[in-house]
Amino acid sequence: MRIVLVAVLAAAVVGAAGAQRDTTRPTVLAAASLTDAFPKIGPNARYSFAGSNALAAQIRQGAPADVFASANIKLPYGLYGDGFCSKPVVFTRNALVLIVPRSNPKRIKKVGDVTRKGVKLVIAGKGVPVGDYTLKVLKKLNLMGALKNVVSQETDVREVLAKVALNEADAGFVYSTDARTVPKKVRTIAIPQRGQPNVEYGICVVLRVAHAAGSKFVKRVISPAGQKILLRYGFLPRKKR
Amino acid sequence: MVGGLAAAGAAVALAFLVLPIAAIFLRVPPRELLDQLTKPVVTDALIVSAKTTVIAQVLVLLFGTPLAYALASRRFRGRGFVITLVELPLVLPPAVAGLGLLALFGRAGLLGTSIPFTQTAVVLAVAFVSSPLYIRQGIAAFEAVDPDMVAASRTLGAGSTKTFFRVVLPLARGGLAAGEALAFARGLGEFGATIMFAGSLQGVTQTLPLAIYDQFAVDFDTALAMGALLVVISAILLVVLRLVLTWQPSRRTSGFLFARSS
Repeated sequence: MRIVLVAVLAAAVVGAAGAQRDTTRPTVLAAASLTDAFPKIGPNARYSFAGSNALAAQIRQGAPADVFASANIKLPYGLYGDGFCSKPVVFTRNALVLIVPRSNPKRIKKVGDVTRKGVKLVIAGKGVPVGDYTLKVLKKLNLMGALKNVVSQETDVREVLAKVALNEADAGFVYSTDARTVPKKVRTIAIPQRGQPNVEYGICVVLRVAHAAGSKFVKRVISPAGQKILLRYGFLPRKKR
Repeated sequence: MVGGLAAAGAAVALAFLVLPIAAIFLRVPPRELLDQLTKPVVTDALIVSAKTTVIAQVLVLLFGTPLAYALASRRFRGRGFVITLVELPLVLPPAVAGLGLLALFGRAGLLGTSIPFTQTAVVLAVAFVSSPLYIRQGIAAFEAVDPDMVAASRTLGAGSTKTFFRVVLPLARGGLAAGEALAFARGLGEFGATIMFAGSLQGVTQTLPLAIYDQFAVDFDTALAMGALLVVISAILLVVLRLVLTWQPSRRTSGFLFARSS
């Protein structure tokens, strides 16, 4: 009886630990905006999609990841500098848009309208790449007054998208690739070119548990086939033209 | 042999529960933890948490007490069903609670209100997830009140309201306080329903648990400091709870037991 109990416990502990490692399947921590595109590029990988800054923090705390794909280049470079991952490369780019619910209750027609009184604006928090890009847009377009309309600072871009798609918020700043995923629920308003920040996505192989599957995944993302899939989801070519 | 194994098992369980909490305090020197607590993101979250928790718990007491008393003192068809409904939010994943609150109070929801993203939303989320703890305990506390005492009070001419406040409530006090302490602690830790229904905005809807999640990705030490703060507050709540539960009115000083008919 006792032996059975010990065996069951041991099996449970070993099983729980073992479930996390399978060297042929890379564990990919990727920016929330890659939720739809990445599984098409690497159907075999295990994914955790979230705000890039939260994922970077997890890697610093020793999360068993093989690949880190961030919606900016700053976070992977920070991890690289501290010895957590390989030298990052830019693997795609993106653009910001303003979204409003289909019903557009505040009749927002242009980006400048977000400063109007009573507009419930949702953005991503500081440190979340899309949150930092949003601040850049507002600064470039001289619309910092919009910050007083912010009703929530979300933890990743998909949370911003959800709050607007649900019609709980009047407007939000997301990547154009996110807006495309719910065309029936949100309307997209373009941001003038002079307000666009340079949105570069960086990818690196996490060194702590580095094995072949991680670098193989990164190669596939940068390969013509991987790039084609990203373009299909609305991402921009990795090299500026 | 069996005794030794049991002791080892007990030690593992105890260490498993204690060490993660101890680690919060051991990872960063106390001096630095205290410094972190003066950051605006922490003080803002503390104020939001204190305010929303207090308001939510006042509402829980105000509305939960009559419901608990009604469910404890009345016998009707479907009572068990109603009690199950009341307890449901307790076992629901908080994310489901958040969905429900949005589906009801959201702008596009059944009632179509503008509550989401406000402090009211935080209060509602906290009250929703924490009140069942109080009501559950309240039902038990009211049921434990000796019906003879109530009957005696009524026979002696006290109305039902007077009986409730002078007899029932004092007798159920201990159980109610215990339930409220649990509800308070649960409300203070509320995360999932709040972030979905109220969003997260520093100084407005960002409570301590939300700020911890936010700071985890920004500054781990600040997150740790807030975690330590919540551990301390929760520990104080538990100690108070234990004191309340073990405290019995002293027989020698409760005059009426010895009152003589002179």
